Amino acid sequence: MTDLTVGMSRIEAAHLMGLVGQFLDVLDASPPGDSTDPAVRRLTPDAYPDDGDASAEFRSMTQSDLLDRRRDDARVVLAGLGNAGADPDALTEENSLDTVSLRLTTDDMASWLRALAALRLVLAERLGIATEDDHDDEDARFAIYDWLGYRLDALVQEVDSREG
Amino acid sequence: MSAGSAPDVREDLNLAELASSPWQTVVWNDPVNLMSYVVHVFRTYFGYSTPEATRLMLAVHNDGHAVVAEGAREQMELHTQAMHDYGLWATVRRAE
Repeated sequence: MTDLTVGMSRIEAAHLMGLVGQFLDVLDASPPGDSTDPAVRRLTPDAYPDDGDASAEFRSMTQSDLLDRRRDDARVVLAGLGNAGADPDALTEENSLDTVSLRLTTDDMASWLRALAALRLVLAERLGIATEDDHDDEDARFAIYDWLGYRLDALVQEVDSREG
Repeated sequence: MSAGSAPDVREDLNLAELASSPWQTVVWNDPVNLMSYVVHVFRTYFGYSTPEATRLMLAVHNDGHAVVAEGAREQMELHTQAMHDYGLWATVRRAE
């Protein structure tokens, strides 16, 4: 399958790099073993909600793989943005709306989808989003959350339309 | 030593059936994952058709959860881990 080309403005790309960097920081701040950070817990949910022992055993077998995958996916996104020249340090008022163009393989795209989905889960945990109605229009962080959703939805449509 | 009393057998305990009693992977609704993404995951991972993946996604959305696979426990745990890998909230349970 041919590569997919994804375009976004330089300022969007810079924001996304910053968010994904913070996402990696959240993972790195979490000690090995059972994390107490609800955002990290959300990435490795209880498999047996009524059985704490079984959940703990399941998590002990799956957590490090899952979190390693989250790091790998995040690094694929950062590398893609970096290769496209979306360096936040090079962002200026003049070029912020220029389009950066990313060429992504099918595997890259799968990483992007998982990474954006995971990033939204972490952001939602930090924002205290517990129901679909939890939204604060005054809070700019919700705008970022919505924007990530818009981007993820567009990428899903793009991938699905390729797969037919 | 107690003579014990005869067990009160009201149900036939079928060990063979118990051993093969299926387990389920259940995906739960959450306020974060996008409907389009959940359909994509069901299609990509399970190979479900778009109508079937959409039906399951709507069941998750409307009923709060849906059984997405049924079978041996080990297999259901693998599916659950795979769902977690996509960020979906999945659990394992014995079929009712």
